[in-house]
Amino acid sequence: MANLATFFWGWLLASFLLGLAMGWVAVVHRGQGVSKLVARCLAVLAAGLVAAALARVVPGRAGYWLDLGLVMFGLYLAGCAIGSWLRDWVVSRALRRTDGP
Amino acid sequence: MHGLFRWSSKWWPGVIPLVVFWAFAAWTSTAPIEADLAARSNAALKDTVLDKKRIAVAGRDVSFAAEAFSEDGRQDAVGSVEAVPGVRLVNDETRLVPEAKPFVWSAERDVVRVTLGGSAPLPAIKGRLLEAARAGLGGVEVADQMNLSRGAPPRFDSAALLLLDQIGKLKDGKITLSDTTVSLAGMARDLGGREAIAAALKNLPEGFSVAANDIKAPPYVFQAYKDPVAVTVTLTGYVPDNNVHAALVAAAGRKFFSEKVVDNLKASVGAPAGFASAVVPALGALSRLSTGTLVVSDREVKLSGDALYEAAAGQIRAGLGKDFPQGWQFKADISVKPQAAPVDATVCQQLFADLLAKARIRFESGRGDISQDSLGLLDRLIETALRCPSANIEIAGHTDADGDQAFNQTLSEKRAQAVAEYLVRAGLPADRFTAVGYGSTQPLAGNDTDEGKAQNRRIDFVVK
Repeated sequence: MANLATFFWGWLLASFLLGLAMGWVAVVHRGQGVSKLVARCLAVLAAGLVAAALARVVPGRAGYWLDLGLVMFGLYLAGCAIGSWLRDWVVSRALRRTDGP
Repeated sequence: MHGLFRWSSKWWPGVIPLVVFWAFAAWTSTAPIEADLAARSNAALKDTVLDKKRIAVAGRDVSFAAEAFSEDGRQDAVGSVEAVPGVRLVNDETRLVPEAKPFVWSAERDVVRVTLGGSAPLPAIKGRLLEAARAGLGGVEVADQMNLSRGAPPRFDSAALLLLDQIGKLKDGKITLSDTTVSLAGMARDLGGREAIAAALKNLPEGFSVAANDIKAPPYVFQAYKDPVAVTVTLTGYVPDNNVHAALVAAAGRKFFSEKVVDNLKASVGAPAGFASAVVPALGALSRLSTGTLVVSDREVKLSGDALYEAAAGQIRAGLGKDFPQGWQFKADISVKPQAAPVDATVCQQLFADLLAKARIRFESGRGDISQDSLGLLDRLIETALRCPSANIEIAGHTDADGDQAFNQTLSEKRAQAVAEYLVRAGLPADRFTAVGYGSTQPLAGNDTDEGKAQNRRIDFVVK
């Protein structure tokens, strides 16, 4: 898969940047998040898809698309995590400065 | 860490554009990736010997179908495709090339082409056989109907190449190699081709044997044509060797005393047994004809033409076959030349003198038996005698001066008598001829040289 990335690295980068942006926004977002139950269901679904990919049970093109989707989703999550953490770090530093003497 | 969980509940809106990205990525990258994997799988199999190889890629899964020539080769091939980077699964549809039992290979030649059929063990050997056939047959169309099979005997390729060499020596026919036995059938292209093939088959690799060799040779043809207009005898066709060649030409020179012998004979192997002992008497029979053709084809002798008189035709028809070796056949198609106009006795004398000036009647050395070589001359003398039915003829025998005079006298009488008897047997009335022996009393030339002696040993026809 690694050397096949030459064919779709642009889309992987786009997923990562999308995640970064979404993570950046999520910290200060005031809207409704997904409930704990839904989050768990989604986690189980994701784990199931990862298991299916690792077990290589999905044949042919669908199998490739599953792999591709999971890699993009993984990079998106990584982007979200880094984006949120960065935003949190920026926000908390600004708060410390305003609270300061 | 707690924050990460809290924030993550709000990451979901980004999944919507992510799905759109995913769709685009899948749409644009699938076909190039499949092409890339197919190309790299084929490259990985470049040095592996396979038949009917087929590679189809769906996503990252490769369907690999092929026929391998050994189990190891098959596993290696599947392993090479699995090792191509990026390949996720290999659908192994490979199998072994079917085993042929018996392993049959054949080369067949007809008028227009050579067809190679049956089984070949490996693509490389198949290619080599085709190449050898095209190179060895120069210009003849080569059709390939060989398929690939396992189970070839050891050293198959060298045996098949040797047999391909032989197909060039055939006019038509088929050579079949079944496991280690060879069968051949057909007609050799040239005289001696059958023998050459039999000799080459001795070089078959160890373990191979000839089950049946039914190659036929083309007919061994010898022809002689006596042309009364050009006054030639033309010899064409084949003779077994140079000795027989020289002997035949010498015999023709003796028998055809007035014709020029045109020698177009070629030496070739493949003559039937007893060739010379059949052809020499056949040439003698031809020499008795006014015009005629002698065709010797294998063991069949055909003589056609015109005899000089009725009795000669009967003698040739009845007599020639008896001289032949066993197994030879004789077909005569002899007609009789119309008798020439009668002439005056003096003209007859002139004609006798002309004939006897060209050649002398020969006898067995020291005996009174007429040589077979002189039958043609005697026939012409008889033909002349028939033209002057009223003339009485003295047949005069002469010898050279060698030896006892009394013996020579007796010998000359015997020889003159033998000629007279021959003429009577040919149907001429006995009372027209008087046989007289003069011994060595009337020499034509000096008896001190061989040439002179030869001139003195003679039979003269004197019209009285």
